[in-house]
Amino acid sequence: MKRSLFDKVWDAHVVEELPGGNALVFMDLVVAHEITTPPGALSIEREFGDKLYEPNRIVAMIDHVAPAKDSATALQAHTVRTWAKRQGIRFHDVGDNGICHVLVPERGYVTPGMTVCCGDSHTCTLGAFGAFALGIGTTAQAGAMLAGCLILQRPKVMRVEVTGELPFDATAKDLALTVIATIGFRGGTGYVLEYTGSAISALTMEQRMTLCNMAIEAGATTGIIASDETTAAYIAATPGAPENWMSQAADDDAEYAATVTIDARTVRPVVSWGTNPGECAPVDGCVPLDAPQASLSYMDLRPGQELRSIEIDQAFIGSCTNSRIGDLRAAAEIFRGRRVSVPTIVTPGSQAVRRQAEREGLHDIFQDAGALWTHSSCGPCLGMSMGVLAPGMRCISSSNRNFPGRMGDGGRVHLAAPAVVAASAILGRIGSVSDLLRRDEENAGAAQRELAVTA
Amino acid sequence: MIVEGAVLAIPRANIDTDQIIPARHLTRIDAEGMGEHLFEGLPDGAALLASRPDATILVTGENFGCGSSREHAAWALTGRGFRAVIAPSFARIFLENAYTNALVPVTLPQATVDELARAQNIAIDVEAETLRADGGPPISFALDALRKHFVLGGGFLQYLNAKIPGIRAWEAAR
Repeated sequence: MKRSLFDKVWDAHVVEELPGGNALVFMDLVVAHEITTPPGALSIEREFGDKLYEPNRIVAMIDHVAPAKDSATALQAHTVRTWAKRQGIRFHDVGDNGICHVLVPERGYVTPGMTVCCGDSHTCTLGAFGAFALGIGTTAQAGAMLAGCLILQRPKVMRVEVTGELPFDATAKDLALTVIATIGFRGGTGYVLEYTGSAISALTMEQRMTLCNMAIEAGATTGIIASDETTAAYIAATPGAPENWMSQAADDDAEYAATVTIDARTVRPVVSWGTNPGECAPVDGCVPLDAPQASLSYMDLRPGQELRSIEIDQAFIGSCTNSRIGDLRAAAEIFRGRRVSVPTIVTPGSQAVRRQAEREGLHDIFQDAGALWTHSSCGPCLGMSMGVLAPGMRCISSSNRNFPGRMGDGGRVHLAAPAVVAASAILGRIGSVSDLLRRDEENAGAAQRELAVTA
Repeated sequence: MIVEGAVLAIPRANIDTDQIIPARHLTRIDAEGMGEHLFEGLPDGAALLASRPDATILVTGENFGCGSSREHAAWALTGRGFRAVIAPSFARIFLENAYTNALVPVTLPQATVDELARAQNIAIDVEAETLRADGGPPISFALDALRKHFVLGGGFLQYLNAKIPGIRAWEAAR
């Protein structure tokens, strides 16, 4: 049988077929952070002594709350820190850290054909490298650290072919949201999304990570993209990355359990209006007339309302979806020479991204615009620290989840690409880059008329 | 093993892990105390739980447990005394977490789940993979043939621990 890329990676890692359609699947890398790791790591030590399958196959870091915001999160961080030291596990501490899905690729820990797991649902991000990377629970992660393997049901593979070219103003985030809206918020459940097509080949590695990052938001086990010259160039430019790895791709006429085709030319800058990432629409569009009442009442919106009429209270650029250097550059382009009109938080995905941004002077652009430039953290994306919302507050965010309460109890979240978030931060309401340029022209026209009157 | 008890029905689709337990409570290094925060992310969560304080069986909607990987969602349910969740479908990671925490995940068609949502009491025979609502006729469902073992008392980590020699041999021959 002709195999998909996912099939090849899976087959190369199956140690044993198990009852009930399960398999024992070998994990090349286990990523561990301070929120989900401690209970499992400590229970291995308690129940199995110091035994880990192979400490060299684990990398740990502080990522969610960095630095700790209180004694409880300090204990989480310190637990991971001391555990990593005891077990001889590579560890990235506060100062040298990052969101795991940003740090792992930039330090060269992931290469094509690998299997990677982490107690974090957005581990699917690393599928951008042609790896099988997935989020799991704490106990499953402990199992992978103890025995080197996960127990998994073999997922089906859905080919998501994206043909043509994205319009100039549409980004990987817009494509990710469009994919979810197309296949449905739970349409990917039981599947791996294998992205193919000319629009995918044209994406940078960072953009591929943004796309794969949101595969979980369609319910999918993960997303995966075949490695190519873009992947090779990224890995070659990454200090610490292995030089030898094998490029893999699907067979030409591979069989897929399902296929979806999206014409990239139809992808528009989008923003979410509802309470799951599938509930989104073009920025210049309206809340759908058939929108569910529960979503509308939580978001305090009405059917048919223009999205551009929605005023915001806060803007956030960051999270494992959109906090890499390319995202910050895109946002800086919008902020340059303008001022934000709502509190705006810009949080780089890693300390390495932060330093790169500062070498390029992006931090000056953000701060000149009146935005807050922070160190790396997961931040307000999951309502834990550094920008949590109050009930009723409305935030436009480059993150990945708009569930009720996600960024704070009662808070309302609109998901969008960094450029749309930046444009909205300046406008004080949801708006696209085109809306911002139109406003600039009107302002310039008004200033000229004023000059003429004065003269 | 019979899992029997009072039913709490929350017949809504897409109850995500942020609604089951908000991230602000993910600040412990163990699995304790999560039950106190169960459904804090649902606007009417406290009232729903108060309406059936003795409930041990949750009947709910499609795609239960979607969103983050936090096993805290399963711990919050078991910590509050829940022993089974009945839904038309589950998100993958939640389903895996349910099994490893002996929280019986029962998948049944929407129409059946709608009927069960009206039941007062449900008894689940885990070995036989059948359940009865209010003493009614048995309804069959299917559990994962391997993971059922973890619900019935077989330890998940012990199972993997026993596999290590085979895994090492596989890796050596890789």
